[in-house]
Order: sequence, then C-alpha cells, then structure tokens
Amino acid sequence: MASTSRGEGLSLPRVTCPNHPEACLVEDYRAGDMICPECGLVVGDRVIDVGSEWRTFSNEKALKDPSRVGDAQNPLLNGGDLTTMISKGTGAASFDEFGNSKYQNRRTMSSSDRAMLNAFKEISTMADRINLPRNIVDRTNNLFKQVYEQKSLKGRANDAIASACLYIACRQEGVPRTFKEICAVSRISKKEIGRCFKLILKALETSVDLITTGDFMSRFCSNLGLPKQVQMAATYIARKAVEMDLVPGRSPISVAAAAIYMASQASAEKKTQKEIGDIAGVADVTIRQSYRLIYPRAAELFPPDFKFDTPVEKLPQL
Amino acid sequence: MDSNNDEALDIIVTNVVATFRTRCHLNLRTIALNGINVIYKPEFGKVLMKLRKPKITASIWSSGKIICTGATSEEESKLGARRLARCLQKLGFKVNFSAYKVVNVLAVCSMPFAIRLIDFTKNNRPIASYEPELHPAATYRIKTLKATIQVFSTGSITVTGPNVQNVATAVEQVYPLLYECQKPLCKK
Repeated sequence: MASTSRGEGLSLPRVTCPNHPEACLVEDYRAGDMICPECGLVVGDRVIDVGSEWRTFSNEKALKDPSRVGDAQNPLLNGGDLTTMISKGTGAASFDEFGNSKYQNRRTMSSSDRAMLNAFKEISTMADRINLPRNIVDRTNNLFKQVYEQKSLKGRANDAIASACLYIACRQEGVPRTFKEICAVSRISKKEIGRCFKLILKALETSVDLITTGDFMSRFCSNLGLPKQVQMAATYIARKAVEMDLVPGRSPISVAAAAIYMASQASAEKKTQKEIGDIAGVADVTIRQSYRLIYPRAAELFPPDFKFDTPVEKLPQL
Repeated sequence: MDSNNDEALDIIVTNVVATFRTRCHLNLRTIALNGINVIYKPEFGKVLMKLRKPKITASIWSSGKIICTGATSEEESKLGARRLARCLQKLGFKVNFSAYKVVNVLAVCSMPFAIRLIDFTKNNRPIASYEPELHPAATYRIKTLKATIQVFSTGSITVTGPNVQNVATAVEQVYPLLYECQKPLCKK
C-alpha cells in the first residue's frame, strides 16, 4: 500500500496542504503523489520513486545485479561525491568532422580531491609494476590521505609522498621493499623518497619496525631461481651472521646478498656476485666486502642439515 | 647516578657555526676583487672568505649577514668573526659588529665500547630512528635540549646542538642508554 512519508523535516521547502498545514502528507508511490489525508488534496506530484527498477529473483543467476548502478563507492578516500561523469565516448558517432570529440572533457568534478585522485592512480600504477596486493595499495591510499589532509608536507611533490607512503605501507604489512625497489617503479630519487619517508613518520607520529635479513630472502631467491634448500640455507646464514655480529654496521640487504652468494656457491646452483647484485640492488663490491666478513666463520654459519655440493673449504675466497 | 664512568669521556668539539650582521650593505664585487683569500659565487650570491689564523670559512651576503663556520671552539668563533669584520672594515665598509649568535655546535665523542644499534633503537623506540638503507647510524633526538645524536656501531657518536653546554648535557644523558646496549668485548 502507500507508504507514509517521513514528515519532510529535513529540507527547507516544506510542502504542506494549504488548508491543513499541520497534516502529515501521505505518499502514494504508485501515482507519485503526496496527498493530504484530511481533505484528499494532491499537494505534490511527480514524486520520484527511489525503489528498484527491475525485479530480480534470488535464484536467477545474474552475472550482474541490475538494481545496482555504478562502481562501488570509495567513501573512505573521496568524501563521497555522487556525481556522474560522462566518458570520452567510443565509436564513430562521438567525433565530429575534424576528429575532435563531440563532448568536451568533463568538468572537474571535485577539484579539491583532484590531486589526491591523481596520487591514487599513481600509487596504483606503481604497485602494479611490482605486483603488490590490494591490501598494501589500500594501506598506502589511507596513509596518503592522512598525510594530504594534514598538509604538513604540502610543498613536496605528490609523487614523492606517494612513493614514500608505498614504502611505509609495505613495511607496515611486514613485507618491506628496499628503497631501491621503490625507486625502480617511481620517478623520484632515493634521496627524496628517504627524506619524505622521515617527514611522514614525523607527521603521522608513527614508527616502523626495523628491517631484517629474512624479509627479503624469499623474494631475492625466487628472482634468482634458487631452490628452497638454498633459500633456507641463506636465511639461516644471514641470521647467524647478524647474531654473531660478524657484520656490524652493514645494511641488512648487503648481508642478505652475501649470504645468498655463500649459500648458492656451496650448492649446485652457483650465482655470480653480479647477478645477485643486480637482483638485490647492491653493488658487487659491497657483496664482496660483506662476504669477506662472513667467510672466516663460514663453517659455523651453514645450517646443520645442509647438503654441500661444494664443501666449505672450497668456497671462493675474494 | 654517575653518567661518566671512571675515565671521563673526551668530547671534542669539531665545528662551531655562528652568524652575525654587519648592519650595512656590502658590495660583493669589491670584496671579491680587493679581498684576500676570497671566492666569489655569483650563482649563490655570496662570497666565501677563508681566514688562516682561526681556521674559519665565512659566507658573506650582500645584505650584511655573515655565517662563520669551521671554528673549533666558541671563543675562537667569536674571535674569527671579529677578525672578519675587521677585514671588511679595512676594505672600506662601515661595519658594525652586531647580533653575534652561535647557531650550531658539532662534537664527536668515542665510547670505549661498541654498540648494538638494533637493540638501542628497540629500547628507545620513538626517539631513536635507524634506517640502515639510508644512513649507517642511529639518530637520537633530544627535544628539550634541541640536540641530535648520531650513534655508530663502532661506538663513536656525533652530537650537534645549539651550544657547547647542551652538547655536554646530551652526551651525559645518552651515555647510560648506550651503556646498556654495548657489545661485550670478548667475541666467541
């Protein structure tokens, strides 16, 4: 039957029956009318029905739900604007005789968030290049939004802040990426990303966990095509080296690279320093330096159940 | 609580940075042409003048503001600044030595033990920050003293602060924290 109206207390123009201003109007949705219950006068007409347009049955396997229109909203990030954008247009009819498109570009729908949306697009592109999962991208977007709203880093390039947010998000999710890896997918220099990183940590008053050698093992080893045994050995070597403090002051990445080198040289799959350096983003002289530090205690660093293809004595010494 | 152990730690001040004003406009070209030991940098709009006696490098701007770096103590810095002002006076400018202020003091100190940086950072979470990819030292900032301490794994630390007194206090403050995270001398 007809549904009762909510009394329209929200909007300013209060539609009332001229004869009975106090009466609550009744909505007749089938005819689209607002009727005064006292005298039956039709007060407002052409009321838009907000119900669904089609009937959908639950057992019908519909690939898409026709009662939903548009993409899922992203209220956390956009502030919820409900505008409709007209797209560029495909097909021959949308272009006039000179080849220009008939419908000129849509007006800026939310100029205040334009930069933010651009940044989200950039973040998505960067993350796509290194195949980051959706949760990291969402976290990055959230971080960017927080930083952007704070405005304390307003002068910095948005791309730099986006790259730094991506770095922080990867760290926070427990799968850190090295600065060099983020640099590879971004146009910003490592120095600038590092600067923005420190500024963002100060602005958001958060801190991140320290990186360990084990965080990068699985990625580097699979990129090099090393078997699981070698990867486990390298992880063990790196951890022991840090525990025994054979490599004070060395970046964990360099130690990890040296450990991978040692493990791969002891197994059947030998990789050169240059290959490892390429994957890890470390110079091969750096690997050499760290390797020289762990070489003297090599025998203790290997896991006890490791099968040596090349025995410890025959490991290369550089 | 005794901050320094039996042996006192040597805090060596390596750099003192001070600024002062000459209260008059300086013609950089004149200084560049007539001064001795000067380097003119037109793209930055300043003249570098290096003094020998207190080994000091000064950046001179045409507005009359001068930054004086390279001194090894506060008195030396003041002496160098005055000498510099005298130099400019001899070149013919009506120099009025004013607003002398020591802006930054850099000191180095060496602990007799090595330090485990990871433990140090973990213990002092928000105040200390360590990014091995960016810099091999852990930075510890003391807000109240406005001092920054960079701790290296070898045990040497560098301290920067607004004056020598702050720097000494900062070292005393941070010493117990470093002492906790020291590396045992005997290696297995």
